[in-house]
Amino acid sequence: MELVRSLGSWAMGAAMAISATLALPLNASGAARAATPAADLLITGAKPDQLFIIDAATRSIRTEYHLAGANGQIFTIVTSPDQRIAYLLVDKMERILGIELATGREVFRADLSAPDERVKDFFALTVTPDGKELIAYELPTRLKPSEYIVEEPRFAVFRTDAGLAAKPVRSYPAPRRIHMLLMRPNGSTFYALGFDLYEYDVKTGKLLDTRGIQKWALADHSQPDLLAFWPVTEPTGVFTSPVYSELKKDDKGVPMTALMSLNLKSGELAYADFEPLSALIFSTVLSPDRSHAYGVYTTLTSVDMAGHRLEKRVPLDHTFYAVNVSTDGREIYVGGTNCDVGFYDAKTLAKNAILKLPGCSDQTLSTLRVIHDH
Amino acid sequence: MSIGLAKYWKLVVSALVIGMGGHAAAAPAVPGQELVRTYCSGCHRENSGSFERISAIRKTPEGWVMTLFRMRQVHGLVLEDAVHDSIVRYLADTQGLAPSESAAGRFALERRPNAQDMDLGPEISVMCGRCHSIARAALQRRDEEEWRKLAHTHVGQWTSIEYSASGRDRPWWQIASGPLPAKLAALYPLSTTAWTDWKALPARDLTGNWVVSGHMPGGKDFFGKARIDREEGGGYKAAYQLTDVTDFEFAGESKALVYTGYEWRGSAQVRDRSWREVYALSEDGNRLSGRWFDSEHAEEGGEWTAIREGGAAEVLALFPQSLRAGSTTLVTMVGNGLASTRGAPASFGDTAKVTVVQNEANRVRVLVKLAANATPGMRKVSTGGATGKVAVYTQIDQIDVVPAYAIARLGGGKAAPVAAQFEAMASTRLPNGELLPLGPMTADWTSIPFDAEAKRTEDFKYAGHFDARGRFLPSAAGPNPAREFSGDNVGNLTVVARATDGSRSVEGRGHLVVTVQRWITPPIY
Repeated sequence: MELVRSLGSWAMGAAMAISATLALPLNASGAARAATPAADLLITGAKPDQLFIIDAATRSIRTEYHLAGANGQIFTIVTSPDQRIAYLLVDKMERILGIELATGREVFRADLSAPDERVKDFFALTVTPDGKELIAYELPTRLKPSEYIVEEPRFAVFRTDAGLAAKPVRSYPAPRRIHMLLMRPNGSTFYALGFDLYEYDVKTGKLLDTRGIQKWALADHSQPDLLAFWPVTEPTGVFTSPVYSELKKDDKGVPMTALMSLNLKSGELAYADFEPLSALIFSTVLSPDRSHAYGVYTTLTSVDMAGHRLEKRVPLDHTFYAVNVSTDGREIYVGGTNCDVGFYDAKTLAKNAILKLPGCSDQTLSTLRVIHDH
Repeated sequence: MSIGLAKYWKLVVSALVIGMGGHAAAAPAVPGQELVRTYCSGCHRENSGSFERISAIRKTPEGWVMTLFRMRQVHGLVLEDAVHDSIVRYLADTQGLAPSESAAGRFALERRPNAQDMDLGPEISVMCGRCHSIARAALQRRDEEEWRKLAHTHVGQWTSIEYSASGRDRPWWQIASGPLPAKLAALYPLSTTAWTDWKALPARDLTGNWVVSGHMPGGKDFFGKARIDREEGGGYKAAYQLTDVTDFEFAGESKALVYTGYEWRGSAQVRDRSWREVYALSEDGNRLSGRWFDSEHAEEGGEWTAIREGGAAEVLALFPQSLRAGSTTLVTMVGNGLASTRGAPASFGDTAKVTVVQNEANRVRVLVKLAANATPGMRKVSTGGATGKVAVYTQIDQIDVVPAYAIARLGGGKAAPVAAQFEAMASTRLPNGELLPLGPMTADWTSIPFDAEAKRTEDFKYAGHFDARGRFLPSAAGPNPAREFSGDNVGNLTVVARATDGSRSVEGRGHLVVTVQRWITPPIY
């Protein structure tokens, strides 16, 4: 809160007219997509072992599972392409579970650590489009009797049919400080977000491309800051995230918020400032018609994608880390902290409903996912 | 993980029956090295009396307590508290820091609230100081290889270190494991002549009578005597007979260990409260000074100095520190060799009439009547063979709020609130324009919004309140539905101290940030 305030005061008086040097990718046909009737199910996790499936239309808990293997907290949630299985990063980031959503049955388990090697996956995992392979980012530490030895990070590939004692079928070197993996729809490459945006070959682990995040392309800006734990790409196949930097103006730095946008299919990467920083945003999601991005933290923010401008902002009841959007684009879902999930009108940002999770445990950083009712 | 200060301190000074006394004192029942062999060498292999990692590090007693805490908490080491204490003593005595090596970081050992951390340049400020005090690093000694191993420990233990703010903006690991260890080893090497020389000195025996003075911000200064005696097992016990400046007499007692030959760590009971004592013995063994504080609230405490009774003539302390021209004031001086004789009465300089009320070697009390035209300024005071200083003034011109910037923490859950104690320090302006400090004075304390944003969010309504002694007592923590975003009861406040000087009002201002709980409270932040 202090930070928000101080950042807010820095931003006061800053010029509103920002010349964006890059255009955000706008899919002209996006707006014409037919909105399907909302039959959204939300998935979220809460401490210490709860996995919830929420019926968005009725604002009710469809299913609540207690996962024996969670051990404290559910971090990242990714779903299989057929949306039947949720893969969950759990157990202090040292275990990945695959849970069949219809039954709660554990169908996959990979324990990343071994007695002499502690392995943490810092939020980053993804599944191939055919659902057959899961890629995890591994930060290993060799545990010797009297010392730790930090080892080089790696990507570890698991077969999803490997059962409850899954071991990697292959692994290859990875950069340090990766915090997100995003599979491309072609199934042959995936993105890794860290210091920069890297693209890797799924089969060979070959680094195919590196594009700037810290060395980004916005002129007259300081080194940007991007850290995102919520690999939300539904419903558009475009990942978005707030990026913070300072615009160098008259020998002064004006804190700015930009939106980074990565189209997983086309590979198009864009950044554009949309406001002098006046509120922190933890995560964003792109509307189905790609006309708006919605961001959350202490406020719910709506960004006009075409105009690169802040459109509307309303205060939230408390901090929310995670955001998603209904398949028909009419409603925004907020979660990721405390024990409630909020439903907000996408046009007015008015609060439609709040659902308290049973037991009122903290969702703490859990991804808020949207899948479709089968 | 939440570990209270009291628990840590229990580990530091719980079992006082086993031990060695000074760093070159008699061996304990079970030699420390044998305990390290028994409890540590399963992982830290022994090679010719040296133990992997352990023998390559020097630390303060608190530093070794933190190490053993981690071994118990994270690595499953099981050992009884008495064995823990013996190992801490052995390691602090044989692999400690010389007085000159711990001097710069003493504020951290003394848990001084609102202390300014050490400045070792921008790189170490960010690489080390963004998570813990730089003093925590500066109170350790390692060679380059061992500093590098510490970098491995950091990343191996705390994955988020490369991702958190001021870590993710740079290749943190590459710096921490690359050039940084050599820089730390140059600043804080394992082998030093300071340590070799110190270890060669015989342990000082603290037994005897001591003259004491103390200052407690927001409380009453005091003075008196301490009797220190040896306890079986190599520790000490102390008995205090003290008097505050309002003539209230009180007693207390303490049990203490002296680590590394000079690090006094005591656990005291004074006026029905439990206090911790973190003092350092001077290299000549004649002065014991540091900070004492409430066992549960380290922010509540004060200064403590003791000198050996019968030493060279010295005014240890003089109460009050300043006298108003035209006033008559009872002045107390404590120290050594203070008793005035017929030939050499206590003197407060020109225009001061002195009447002796009490005249003892260690305590002299005099009524000082200053003429109305007494010259403002610092003047010399003499009594017996000792000299001191007192400030003379005609009016108070300035109030400084000390500390000028402070932090208080909300309390809630397992975390106790952390109050912020302020003092109104008065000064007078001398004809030459200089400000002459007059010491603390009574003031009325209030808080107002620090800026427009703090006013808008009405921090002053939520963050807490002042008591009459200049102590800001923060509110309870937690989401507050009455605040924007259900925000916590944090606040950004301007502290206002208003004092009256005759018919005049003098005001001083400071800055107070009331922030969230601190969940982890190790002996060295």
